[in-house]
Amino acid sequence: MKTINDPEFKKILVCCGTGCQANGSMAVYKALASRLGPDSGIEVSTYTKATGCNGWCEQGPLVKILPDDITYCHVEPKDVEEIIEKTIKQGEVVKKLLYRDPVTKKQVRSHHEIDFYRKQHKIALRHIGEIDPASLDDYLEAGGYQALRKAFTMSPQDILDEIKRSGLRGRGGAGFPTGIKWESCAIQPGTDKYLVCNGDEGDPGAFMDRSIMEGDPHTIIEGMLIASMAIGAHRGFIYVRDEYGLAIINLNLAIRDARAHGYLGMDILERGWAFDIEIVRGGGAFVCGEETALITSIEGNVGEPRDKYVFPTEKGLWGKPTVINNVETWANVPVIIQEGAEKFSSIGTEKSKGTKVFSLVGKVVNTGLVEVPMGTTLREIIYDIGGGILKGRGFKAVQTGGPSGGCIPAELLDLQVDFDSLTSAGSMMGSGGLIVMDEHTCMVEVARYYLNFLAGESCGKCVPCREGISRMLEIVTGICEGRGDSSDLSLLEELGETLQVASSCALGKTAPNPVLSTLRYFREEYESHIREHRCPAGVCRSLTEFYVDPELCNGCGLCVKNCPAGAISGEKKEPHVIEQEICIRCGDCFNRCNFQAVKVK
Amino acid sequence: MKIVVDGQEITAEYGESLLEATRRAGISIPTLCYHEAFKGEGRCRLCMVEVNQGGRKSLVAACTYPIREEIEVTTSTPSIDKIRRNIIMLLYKRASGSLLLQKLYHEYGCPETKLQENPEERCILCNLCVKACEEVGASAISLIMRGTEKRLATPYDQAADVCVGCGTCARVCPTGAIEMVEEDNLRAIWHKKFELQACDHCGKYYAAKAEIGYFAEKHPEFDHPEKLCETCRKRELASKFMEYNTNYPGRV
Repeated sequence: MKTINDPEFKKILVCCGTGCQANGSMAVYKALASRLGPDSGIEVSTYTKATGCNGWCEQGPLVKILPDDITYCHVEPKDVEEIIEKTIKQGEVVKKLLYRDPVTKKQVRSHHEIDFYRKQHKIALRHIGEIDPASLDDYLEAGGYQALRKAFTMSPQDILDEIKRSGLRGRGGAGFPTGIKWESCAIQPGTDKYLVCNGDEGDPGAFMDRSIMEGDPHTIIEGMLIASMAIGAHRGFIYVRDEYGLAIINLNLAIRDARAHGYLGMDILERGWAFDIEIVRGGGAFVCGEETALITSIEGNVGEPRDKYVFPTEKGLWGKPTVINNVETWANVPVIIQEGAEKFSSIGTEKSKGTKVFSLVGKVVNTGLVEVPMGTTLREIIYDIGGGILKGRGFKAVQTGGPSGGCIPAELLDLQVDFDSLTSAGSMMGSGGLIVMDEHTCMVEVARYYLNFLAGESCGKCVPCREGISRMLEIVTGICEGRGDSSDLSLLEELGETLQVASSCALGKTAPNPVLSTLRYFREEYESHIREHRCPAGVCRSLTEFYVDPELCNGCGLCVKNCPAGAISGEKKEPHVIEQEICIRCGDCFNRCNFQAVKVK
Repeated sequence: MKIVVDGQEITAEYGESLLEATRRAGISIPTLCYHEAFKGEGRCRLCMVEVNQGGRKSLVAACTYPIREEIEVTTSTPSIDKIRRNIIMLLYKRASGSLLLQKLYHEYGCPETKLQENPEERCILCNLCVKACEEVGASAISLIMRGTEKRLATPYDQAADVCVGCGTCARVCPTGAIEMVEEDNLRAIWHKKFELQACDHCGKYYAAKAEIGYFAEKHPEFDHPEKLCETCRKRELASKFMEYNTNYPGRV
């Protein structure tokens, strides 16, 4: 009988993160697992597992084969037979399933040789894509719960000092030093203290926390266990938004297994320490990611934040001292304890240590999850890892920090990303969303989109946020629809400033960022909308007219075929014409044309 | 403990809100969502003031800021005045039907803007009515929805079983936004009609029968067999007082 570590024992890892599942990876997994089962008659020993998200969602479903170190992309159930025949039985590579490097045109066998992975440094995501999240054994085999065992040999103060020395800062957005937060809770008198894991990830296009909860739930449990000893808490809560179905299933499994094997409960590892975790499912309000709103929500009340003149570490859940950390923060804790603060703090910039997970989305070639050391430049993330802009278009801006982050222009592409640099650029780290925008993006429309999101997601408790956002939305919508006037921009700035200082919580305080940052970097675009009644990017319908440049049009007919209004006409191989009376200005031709022959007036 | 507000030293209890301490000292800070019967919630943000904690200055809402150390407070600066002006402007644009907001809009000298007004609306979502109803013990109304759609309502906008028609919500409302209409012996409020009790002495309708029954059950010690309006009750109390004073002179 071969053991799992035998080099001839083949491990087949099928990515079953949400992105790959949406592309049918479960069918691939089932086909592989059933064909390679004990009765398959195949002589090679195999072990097939469904893993969490590998982050490279663009190329999914992904299948990795170890120890051969082969990564297959876009795998479909029909490819399973070939993979078994060639790779499993004979150790050959199925070339058509390999990734083809867009620049060198070479096929790449291992994901370690791909730029997308080569420039990453995985700490929070270290196990994801490698282990089966539903298996405690897999986690243990990967070194899981070793940090907990080490923590049992340390005093609470040692643990606090280790976290403080590591320089870890909260990954939920504000970047508050984690060690200081823990210590301020630890020094509170009394034994009723709580730990909370904030898994209410609500930013559009962000899925870092989701991936960790789905792909490595035991890491969160281990991180919370270590904190429980440092702080003296015996109860923890994981607040997950209810839309994250797979995360809830995997977390529940992990908690059940951890209890059954003595990692949670009244006498953890027979060391006389008690700690247990409950899952609280959130109703999906964005504002409940704000810690005081999250607390009220766990208590069973309407998720409205309160003024934080007294921090939750002093008066939190049910008025008791409470530490709330984001999922990714918890995932970093076991590594710091296991490998030491020095190793962790050797990564990153002076004031932001370690790595950060970003969900890279938008008009970029490789969308997905990336984890890079703090201080990596935007250019490296977008061009080296992300593979640049789709269709070879120009980069216009990158939106960081979720809906209340800001838009950073091309001049700042060499900005080293950390908590402080992003804030000084008028944006913020947020929980790590990076939305890349190309030259066909209208920045006024972007600001309008985020304001609209926030208008619906503000809790509506305090006046500056509730009324201010809706009025800023009114003004920006007016600009997009051609009703802007010269007083608009100063009024936007004035309202934005009031929101920043007078709002009760961080949602309102940062809500003007999309407007203020686009006003700072793309003011001329607002001015074109207002003065010339023109949307330079060709997005705002009321202000756009498209025409075909006869010099560039080769009459391929692509736009004619796809125009939903039937507004484009012209003979084949002759320049086409757009009839303005019929055109609905949807921009489909503009985005579709391969020769950039459709222009915006 | 001592704190300094606009250069004046005042005393404060540890943990009480800055607004409570300043009100007691007779220093005025404007508010719209605050009522001394309830704890401050920091909704309207009109009470923003500048707090100086050993050199570190920050803007805080006085109604929720707890006094825990010796601080210096400034209740009006150009930046605070601007915030208050903008808040009044935003609230006026939201609830242009409110006479109070119309008055404040002019008093604060809010600049003219093209933002849409809403003459149909008077509610500023201060939540005082909700807290008053909770205090009464009925909890018949609450703020529902979130964001810009937030509004005041009974559950599912239906007549609420628990509403006793006491009208406390309408009385506590700073902007007169809650409609309570009385005609003959009926009071209409929150999708419901309540029969009114006539005063045993003067015959004036003065309270909903449901409300009287509810409070009699809640506080039987204060129930009275005679149903009297506020004026007649005062008159009766005064006459008892006179009678007592005549029988036992100098005892009161």
